[in-house]
Amino acid sequence: MVDERTFPKALASLDGIFAHLESFYRSELIDARTSLSLSLVVEEIFTNLVRYNTVSRNPIVLRIEREGDQVRLELVDHDVDRFDPSTLPEVNVDAPMAERKPGGLGLHLVRAIVDHISFEYENRVMRIAVVKNLERGHV
Amino acid sequence: MFEMTRGDDGTIRLRGRLDAAQVELHAAEFERIAGSSVLDFSELEYISSAGLGVLFATHRRLTDAGGGLTIVNLRPYIRELFGIAGFDRIFAID
Repeated sequence: MVDERTFPKALASLDGIFAHLESFYRSELIDARTSLSLSLVVEEIFTNLVRYNTVSRNPIVLRIEREGDQVRLELVDHDVDRFDPSTLPEVNVDAPMAERKPGGLGLHLVRAIVDHISFEYENRVMRIAVVKNLERGHV
Repeated sequence: MFEMTRGDDGTIRLRGRLDAAQVELHAAEFERIAGSSVLDFSELEYISSAGLGVLFATHRRLTDAGGGLTIVNLRPYIRELFGIAGFDRIFAID
């Protein structure tokens, strides 16, 4: 069953989002390590929507669902301009400190954690969906 | 919740969850860190890219001034995140 909630488009929503996710982890017996990873993924995507999709202040929809050994997360942002994070340049994590540039690290972490990520944009609605396999043995 | 406290030996202990909202609330505390400082992560439960970002900015500011951050007692999960971010090659980690 898909659990769907909406949260105001503001960083102050993070506490409520984490509390909601913790309830899901408990009900689905998600282990602590995977829970940290899923919370990180949701935070990174949510904060990107807050910071970069600034045209509207509509609440953001968070859907979360467990299907067997997978957790599927989807965040939906309404009435926004097209913004495709997948087109952002990769972060060079091997660069020395003096050459590191701000930005992009959140998406880099998300890509490292999840098993699948997709972006859809249609009728001014943006959907970012990720899938995390629960049996995966790392972050 | 997140908090930073300085011990008698000067070590700065981070406790709780360093997410994007907490980074905004505590940005001024990071800006007050000076010189060569030790951050104890033993009670840091969670960190996101926003938290990593403020650590990086602080470390670069201190390094430019001849100091820097040393991080101790990372939990395994956060140590892995440091590795994914390439921070294990930037920070001094004990």
